[in-house]
Amino acid sequence: MGSTEKIKIESLTYAYPFSDKNALENISFSIMPGECVGIIGRNGAGKSTLCLALTGLVPKFFKGRYSGKVLLDGEDVRQISYEKLVTKIGLVLQNPFSQITGARITVYEEVAFGLENLGIPRDEIKQRVEAVLKALDLWEKRDENPFELSGGQLQKLAIASVLVLQPEVLVLDEPTSQLDSGGTKEVFEIISQMKSQGITIVLVEHKYEMLVEYVDKIIFLQEGKMIAFDEAEKIFSLPEIDEYMVGEPIYTKLCKKLNSKNSRGYYPVKFSEAVGILREARCGSDR
Amino acid sequence: MRVLGLYVERDTPVHKLAPFTKLMYAVTSTVVTFLFPSITVGILFLVLSVFLNTIARVLKHLIALLMVVSVLSISIFLIQGMFYVGNYTPLFSLLRLTFYKEGLLRAVVLVLRLFNMISAFGILMLTTRPSDLIDDLVRRGLSPNVGYVIASVLQIVPQMLSTATRIIDAQRSRGLEMNGSFHKRFKAFLALIGPLVLGSLLEARERALALEIRGFEARTKRTFLKDFSESKR
Amino acid sequence: MLRGKFTTAVLVLIPVAVGINYAGKFFAEALKLPLWLDSIGTILAAMLAGPVVGALSGAFNNIIYGLTAGPFSLVYALTSVGIGLSAGGLHRSKMFENMLRTILSGLIIALVATAISVPLNVVFWQGQTGNIWGDTLFAFLRSKGINVWIASFFDELIVDLIDKFLSVVVAFAIFRSLPKTLIYTFQRE
Repeated sequence: MGSTEKIKIESLTYAYPFSDKNALENISFSIMPGECVGIIGRNGAGKSTLCLALTGLVPKFFKGRYSGKVLLDGEDVRQISYEKLVTKIGLVLQNPFSQITGARITVYEEVAFGLENLGIPRDEIKQRVEAVLKALDLWEKRDENPFELSGGQLQKLAIASVLVLQPEVLVLDEPTSQLDSGGTKEVFEIISQMKSQGITIVLVEHKYEMLVEYVDKIIFLQEGKMIAFDEAEKIFSLPEIDEYMVGEPIYTKLCKKLNSKNSRGYYPVKFSEAVGILREARCGSDR
Repeated sequence: MRVLGLYVERDTPVHKLAPFTKLMYAVTSTVVTFLFPSITVGILFLVLSVFLNTIARVLKHLIALLMVVSVLSISIFLIQGMFYVGNYTPLFSLLRLTFYKEGLLRAVVLVLRLFNMISAFGILMLTTRPSDLIDDLVRRGLSPNVGYVIASVLQIVPQMLSTATRIIDAQRSRGLEMNGSFHKRFKAFLALIGPLVLGSLLEARERALALEIRGFEARTKRTFLKDFSESKR
Repeated sequence: MLRGKFTTAVLVLIPVAVGINYAGKFFAEALKLPLWLDSIGTILAAMLAGPVVGALSGAFNNIIYGLTAGPFSLVYALTSVGIGLSAGGLHRSKMFENMLRTILSGLIIALVATAISVPLNVVFWQGQTGNIWGDTLFAFLRSKGINVWIASFFDELIVDLIDKFLSVVVAFAIFRSLPKTLIYTFQRE
């Protein structure tokens, strides 16, 4: 013991049952406490599978062929007791609708559900639910039926229901893919809030422009293998990004077209930096 | 319909009774009328149930429920009146059909029994929020898993029905023919139910994941958020 | 019902099975088909997760009908349980491997449903089913002096035979088209 990594994955290889291909092959990386890490890759690259592996749902729920280790605070995720695991790591999925239990008729009760399961004392439940609903700006909606909420609010509800368990790690698998820009902004604001609280975050996200503003590093997957694990600008400057047609932030694409790199030799990924670089390129005729 | 159920929001003493009490009344009333198939017993309970429904100011809704079995009730009178095994005393004739006293009396008992069952359960269903009923039962020992299944069915089914409507629209716009021969319409049925099943099973799998993440399988003793006496926190 | 006995996936499957039952009835009405087609979910649940889960789906289905439309359907919970049990049992015995076996299974399940409903009909409403066509036949048979049980059997058969048979066929067709990994999720170990 005594390792300081929050998450450590060692040579993880996994295949779903009935599948001859590996969904994940020989994945290894570490994430430190409080880091915010993104995951990018084509469809089928293994991003969702990796999210499930972090929470232990792969292999617990899906079975299949599994080798290697996923360690949370040094403990194998398959060994951690269920009750402990649930308060250690949380997962938010893509589809807001399928994350409601369906068994509760108000937003308040829906959020309290997880705490009821864990036998948390009633007063503490009330405290925690109120805190999380207010933090996510859902307190006004606490008496409404979850099914009456909009997509963005539902996704916030899903996040609230997980946050109320006070996990140290939060994994989000394309949380904004079914939301409009307003909903997307709200989700990213919450992510920013959690970052400032020191929660370790792993985020699969296709909206690269937003992703790069929040993450410290990015994992780049292709067909189950990890191509790279590095800072955003280094990742998006890799030739494999174009080769595998993964896409990039649009201003990065612009800079690539205009061959405008930053002082470190990479294409800028952040909006402000790209503006600066392009302005220079425009004003200075010889480079 | 957002949540399945017959609950009618009112503020009456019947509404405030414990759900379990009302359930016990419904069951007892039904069982007694079956054990003692006499007209007197039937009428007694029916009057009592109707009285309770009236106090609860849901009489109109009860009548609607009874209307559902009106055709069955009439046919019971017809069939028992004419063909009951113990028929002996003819009472009257209509269009060459003879109706007997014993059969008609039997029909009265049967229909009273039916009405009784509906009225007694009506009190339960019309004056109790489904979630409160489930809560009460779980508190008294019903497995929380069973409670979960019942509670979620009540919300998931309306959800699936609105999805069903959307699927009809989507398939129609792709040229699905909903009229024509039985064969054609049956094929249309397959084209509608297939996507619905696939979609809802995929969603079910995701929901199972979400539940696991939120401690659904925890073996600790669960907390009950709501107090018996509260209907709103 | 022990908590450990049922996986979360199965507990989530049951409400969806009930929903599929409702949807079947909904589509049948929308297409003006002269059928109920309201047991497809029960049968699918039985094929996916076994006879017990099928039986539970059927039972909950009727309980919910009872809670939301009046206690009439509650009585027939036993029939739905029978459909779930027999569909699951037949599936386990590989009676859904091909079309021929499925046809046989469909007939068996229709007969099971009928056989369970008849005693319920007799006990509760002296043999009738509440269905206009069936009860007309019932009245006709009774007028000829035919025994109440036999008359009820034919009454029920009119209501159930084609409906349950086609429900089984539809469930089979859908099951065949589901991705294996999805089926695997719900299988009880």
